[in-house]
Amino acid sequence: MSVKIKLSMWASGCFFLVGLAVWFYQLQQGLILTNMENSYSWGLYISGLAFFVGNAAGGLVLTSSIYLFGVKQLKPLAKLGALTAFANVTAAMLIVLPDIGKPLRLLNLLFHPNFMSPLVWDVIVLNLYALASATYLYILMLPELTGRLEWLAFKVDDAQAFSERWAKRMAPVALLFAIGIHVVTAWIFSTQGARDWWHSPAMAPDFVSVAIAVGTTVVLLAGALAYGTGEKYQEAFRLLGLIIFMAICVHLFLMMNDLVIHAWYGSGETHRIMEIAWGDFAWFHIFEVAAPLIGAGLLMLPTVRRSLPRLALSSALLIAGVFVHRFLIMPAAFNNIPMTMTPLGLPNSHWSLPIATGRFFPGMSTFIDQYSYTPSLVEVVILLGIVAYAVLLILLAIDRLPILVKEKP
Amino acid sequence: MKMGMVIDLEKCIGCRSCMVACKQHNAQPPQTWWNRVFTPGSHRHLTPPIKGVEFFLPVHCQHCENAPCEKVCPVGATYHAEDGAVLIDFERCIGCRYCMSACPYGVRQFNWEDPEKAHKRSEYQDAYHYGYPEDHRHAGRLVYTPLRPKGVVEKCTFCTQYRDKGELPACVRGCPGKARFVGDLDDPNSEVSKMIKARNAFTLLPEKGTKPTVFYLPPKPKEV
Repeated sequence: MSVKIKLSMWASGCFFLVGLAVWFYQLQQGLILTNMENSYSWGLYISGLAFFVGNAAGGLVLTSSIYLFGVKQLKPLAKLGALTAFANVTAAMLIVLPDIGKPLRLLNLLFHPNFMSPLVWDVIVLNLYALASATYLYILMLPELTGRLEWLAFKVDDAQAFSERWAKRMAPVALLFAIGIHVVTAWIFSTQGARDWWHSPAMAPDFVSVAIAVGTTVVLLAGALAYGTGEKYQEAFRLLGLIIFMAICVHLFLMMNDLVIHAWYGSGETHRIMEIAWGDFAWFHIFEVAAPLIGAGLLMLPTVRRSLPRLALSSALLIAGVFVHRFLIMPAAFNNIPMTMTPLGLPNSHWSLPIATGRFFPGMSTFIDQYSYTPSLVEVVILLGIVAYAVLLILLAIDRLPILVKEKP
Repeated sequence: MKMGMVIDLEKCIGCRSCMVACKQHNAQPPQTWWNRVFTPGSHRHLTPPIKGVEFFLPVHCQHCENAPCEKVCPVGATYHAEDGAVLIDFERCIGCRYCMSACPYGVRQFNWEDPEKAHKRSEYQDAYHYGYPEDHRHAGRLVYTPLRPKGVVEKCTFCTQYRDKGELPACVRGCPGKARFVGDLDDPNSEVSKMIKARNAFTLLPEKGTKPTVFYLPPKPKEV
């Protein structure tokens, strides 16, 4: 194990433990430690859910490319794809926990599930996808589970043939769950008729396109970090870069399509939405558009793909842009009070009924119709703790399991 | 039996007595208000937005027939009682706050911290407790408790603890102008059904398709 990996493991392990400790503190004190309040009831944690779910798409892209479309060049990255998918989908489930007011009651999801709730569907598909990625990874590793790892191996006559056969068989199933996690996570938002910002049929396809872009970027970055940017990987990286760029273009199209339709009609609600999305958050909006576009554009250049620092920087830019995109799910939804009316006798007026905050903020009224949310330190540390969890899991697996294809001497 | 409420805006004087009665009777923690009365169009309550136009709007849970909060609740903690009231089971709620974002009326409130701590933070007198003092179960489910634990969502119950004893909700009893009425919407001859028909009753945000069971009777234009 190289010193670099060892250090990264220690660092991510420590961060994860700090995040865990802060979560316990929050469990004890309540969600008062976050900066959310009644009118702004979801914040960084739920943005984090959407972010990690998107990152988990890497497995899907690689599996379908290799086993459904026969792109053999990507094979060395298959296990890495399944691993990043598993790490991110479990991170997505973990980041929901600190958002839950009574996490000890989560078993109620098993005892009293309400199958009308998209959240229940999401719990089901996220678990199935986690299970599918783990199984898929296991099947791919099976031929190499020898020596000290032999006790892990499932006994079959010809492990290599078994692995090939079952990987192919599982691919369409895994693909279904993979599409499912993005679509259902989008439905949690887009089914809400109360929030004009979310209530759009474009959201689910947009989630799929963002996920394909960012999930593939995660695999590309992991692949480049693990294998370097040698000539033998260039064809695989080129293909991934192309997938990323196309997916970002589809994403930007779907997003702009939605914004144009929101903006064009110019009703009171949409006017308010645009004021927030293009006004208050103008710089964030520019970043969420420019960063992924520039990042993906750079990844199309062979010179960028041949240099590890450039590739890593471009990938990081894209991932950061997508993160901001996920953060922006909330403001235009929660700062646009749904209980808005045109009062009797005032046909040209547009008035929102203030909401009680539910918690004390010094110098702030109890009843508000607008709230500037910035995550608290507790929220940021817990989110970073979950990122550290995903990094640690990937590093540990790479270190202990036959994830990377060994160079033939 | 489908219970409904009618609020006569012609009779509402905007005094907020119902807000206070609701808050006290239901032991709501500081900064939590199940019932809000405001002056539509105006940024200041009891101040006309323009001369000659002024009415007041009380808003609490609309006990919708097609309630988005009930549909999104992953564990069925929010549910319809047999009489049509939408209630929350405080022993089942996991605190995911999905219902809060799904409710178009902004009536759902979260317990961000322990109520005793919230009292302290707002400098309430030590050991001062207000509201209906006992737990109340409706068909076995805990739908009222004076100190809601941190991490659960709460809202108007149409005062289930009083209605189960044949009494009226606190806001109805506390209204000095007698602007609030409760009755059976299924019975075409009930007082509320008659008022709804006779007075052009309207509901809030009908375009959201939530089918509220709280109806408003429009006010007459003011003579100034």
